[in-house]
Amino acid sequence: MLHGLTRTVGMIRSFVVLFIFALSGSAGLFADVAKPQIPASRGDQCVEPVEIMRRNHFEFIVHQRDLTVHQGIRTKRHSLAGCIDCHSTKTAAGQYLPVNAEGEFCQTCHTYAAVKIDCFSCHAAVPTEKISQSP
Amino acid sequence: MLLGSLFAVLFYLATAILVLGLVSRIRRYARTPAPLVIPTTPAPITRSGVAARMFREVVFFESLFKGSKWSWLFGWLFHFGMLIALARHLRYFTEPVWNWVVMIQWVGVYAGMAMFVGLAGLWARRILVDRIRYISAPSDHLMLALLLAIAGSGIGMKYVAHTDIVAVKAFTLGLIRFDWQPLPADALLIVHLSLVVVLMLIFPFSKLLHAPGMFFSPTRNMRDNPREHRHVAAWAQDLSSTPSDRSQVS
Repeated sequence: MLHGLTRTVGMIRSFVVLFIFALSGSAGLFADVAKPQIPASRGDQCVEPVEIMRRNHFEFIVHQRDLTVHQGIRTKRHSLAGCIDCHSTKTAAGQYLPVNAEGEFCQTCHTYAAVKIDCFSCHAAVPTEKISQSP
Repeated sequence: MLLGSLFAVLFYLATAILVLGLVSRIRRYARTPAPLVIPTTPAPITRSGVAARMFREVVFFESLFKGSKWSWLFGWLFHFGMLIALARHLRYFTEPVWNWVVMIQWVGVYAGMAMFVGLAGLWARRILVDRIRYISAPSDHLMLALLLAIAGSGIGMKYVAHTDIVAVKAFTLGLIRFDWQPLPADALLIVHLSLVVVLMLIFPFSKLLHAPGMFFSPTRNMRDNPREHRHVAAWAQDLSSTPSDRSQVS
């Protein structure tokens, strides 16, 4: 019994030593943690604080959809078109890239977290004509 | 970052205890002698037959099905709900996420609910069935409460209070690659992860050991061949003597 305990303690100690070694060398020894590289957006700030958007953006979009489709209330604050206006990027040739294309604003995190986006099977993933003409 | 570091230490500690604890338990199970041939009959007489029986036991819970339909229903719902829910969580541990993990994401949500329903049913059985309540120890109830709270807090993050899952994934990848990342300070997430740590810590010391123990169960892993082969446990080799020897002695 005592022998087993000593051996267990020994194993834990060697694990801790290995662990501290790993930490001390973490910068060089191990690959950096992969994080989504989100492309830059236009505009000064989002319609909600970033911390809230990261958690609840889909609640806003779904809520807006219900208001608009079921009750006919069409406001601008949480409109999907508004998201796309700021968060789509252009190619060098001046063409808008869809926000759900690989590496673009929506898709980057959605690929990272394995979450499927349904929005753009119906909605446009690039800014609409009217908006793209405005400066 | 303080929260991230705290949970990083907790998870490393819990993982170490889980792995070392399981290894020492499995070693003990493997070394425990089985002196008698005691498969529950009718039992297979070949090795492949035993493998097939074990497969049915692990995948379909065959003997539980024969024993109690309600326990089987809720138990099976819970275990396979948990299996798929765990597979869904692989998205937090892999980058890029494996394709089949992407494809089962939607199933995993329902699997989580099945897990919850199964656990609730098993707990109801412990409370509502008199003879089961009589033999239930506090640990039986607490284990169900713990698993139910883990499932509930997980479902809660899906439907009630979201967390920043991109940051959560960065945290778990950081654990694996020894590059600690901050953890979002959301109540449900803290509860969920804390309870998972508790589960990992008690796993090697509790009834949850039925998972590895299943494979060492003599009534399930033995062949029904006592007439064809004399069964002598390894430790008894020295003690055994042939019948002729014995007749000479007597």
